[in-house]
Amino acid sequence: MRQERDSNLKNPMCAPFESLLMLAAAGEEMDAAEQAEVNEHLAHCAVCSEALEREKDLLLLLAANRREPDAAMLASCRASLEDALDRQEERSWPRRLAGAFTPLGWLSARPAWSAALLVMIGFSVGILGPRFFAHPAMPRVAANSAAPDTSSAQFVNSNDASRSSLGTLDLHSAEVAGINVFPANANESPQVEVQLRAQQPVTLQGTVDDGNVKRVLLDVLRNNEKFDPDVRLSAVELLRTRTNDPEVRSVLCHAVHTDHNAAVRLKALEALNGAEPQDIIRQTMLDALVDDQNPGVRIEAMNSLRDMAAKGQVESDAHTLAVLRGLMEKDPSTYIRLQSAAAIRDLGPRQKF
Amino acid sequence: MGMSVALERDARQAALVKLSEEHALVRNAQAGDRLAFEELVRRYDREVLRLATNLVHRAEDARDIYQEGFLRVYRNLHRFRFECSFYTWLYRIVTNVALDHLRRRTSRREDQAPVPDEADGSTRDFFDRQPALGAGSNPERRLLGQELGEHISAALDRLSPRERMVFEMKHYQGLKLRAIGDLLGTSEETVKNSLFRATRKLRASLDAMR
Repeated sequence: MRQERDSNLKNPMCAPFESLLMLAAAGEEMDAAEQAEVNEHLAHCAVCSEALEREKDLLLLLAANRREPDAAMLASCRASLEDALDRQEERSWPRRLAGAFTPLGWLSARPAWSAALLVMIGFSVGILGPRFFAHPAMPRVAANSAAPDTSSAQFVNSNDASRSSLGTLDLHSAEVAGINVFPANANESPQVEVQLRAQQPVTLQGTVDDGNVKRVLLDVLRNNEKFDPDVRLSAVELLRTRTNDPEVRSVLCHAVHTDHNAAVRLKALEALNGAEPQDIIRQTMLDALVDDQNPGVRIEAMNSLRDMAAKGQVESDAHTLAVLRGLMEKDPSTYIRLQSAAAIRDLGPRQKF
Repeated sequence: MGMSVALERDARQAALVKLSEEHALVRNAQAGDRLAFEELVRRYDREVLRLATNLVHRAEDARDIYQEGFLRVYRNLHRFRFECSFYTWLYRIVTNVALDHLRRRTSRREDQAPVPDEADGSTRDFFDRQPALGAGSNPERRLLGQELGEHISAALDRLSPRERMVFEMKHYQGLKLRAIGDLLGTSEETVKNSLFRATRKLRASLDAMR
């Protein structure tokens, strides 16, 4: 405290402006009124002007004495982190459980024994496996042979004519645990695998054109509060190639309006950007531009609208122009204001701003 | 103006693409993809290490903050729900680790750097007393530079952990006061007050060096 008092005696400044001068030295953080107040004061107060310069000198002095970690230190930290992550994984309980039953540490030092054990396990499973795992009552419907068998869940091909396994499963209310996508050749749709949680886990396989797969993906986006964001993101990613389908367009627009997760709303807007221009899409983008709280989503909406305006796909009707004019005048984002002005210019005769 | 708007638009597009890529990395890392997690680490670890290096004196302490921070991120990655950017979430964890470290260190008096005394007892201002350190510094100037560094370290040690963190994040991480408040779980006004106290203390400490 005494140090601060002595310092203030040596470095006088007008007390009411001390905190504002600190912000001024920091280079920002003042609103227009505060900035004007400070500028007005500095124009008439040499003491505060000098204090501001001393404040900036202090920051420059501190900045000049900063330390930058060198590449060797960074590399060393990364290596240590990798070791720590390896230990973390080793401590996870499945490994401990597996280690309790299999002498992994012993085997790793004896490759010949490891190979022999592997061969014995392979023979045992081949000979004894069918006796343990075959069950005539198990309704194992033919699965797509190209897709890997990921779990003990029941595999159902979406287009299988015998719908007995799907008949008892209400796809609208089934809980989606995960979605996997398997790339396909250039002219083929990727294979989709949807893991459903029901009384018995079910994995639904097919392409996004398959009725059941599409139904599940659309339901994920319609009932967004029930599913994890990563599942919803996967659903949007898969449906973006089908935006010519009116039902898909409608659900993507619904996601833009209602999903709680900004990344999902952003991805849905990106998906709609490539779609055939429709009134519902234009209105969805305008709504996102005006109402969305996330700046990234609003910027994407603005960019998409500008794209459409540049291609002549947006009508210069009174409503659209009124929205854009309002944004140009009042939006807190400079980017949105500039882009709104540019969009108005693109839409029609030169407007007076 | 058209060119700058176009450039800004390109920059925004690039940022959105990067955001989508990062979301994909996070999802893969949450699913257990270690390579995806390591890619996320590489995107931010230099900044994290820079923050840690300038908050603590010793390199091994900076390493501890780095490692503990990223291990906590790894263990809690399944809790990240994309409600904020990954950067914000990561920095919340790292700043908490760094604050814990600073608080533990503050309670250990042996870590406080001693304040050297000037011999001549002059009353000139601290800035007036600083020698001009040119590019071709001779050994005497290097020594003076080293003493200056020690003075500055001692001055920074007088800040509370929160004041130190706020000062570092505002002036050297380029964050706005509201963003700092969000990271530290407090209000913008509280952050502003911390910054104000930190600046006052530093000014007083460096002026008091004689």
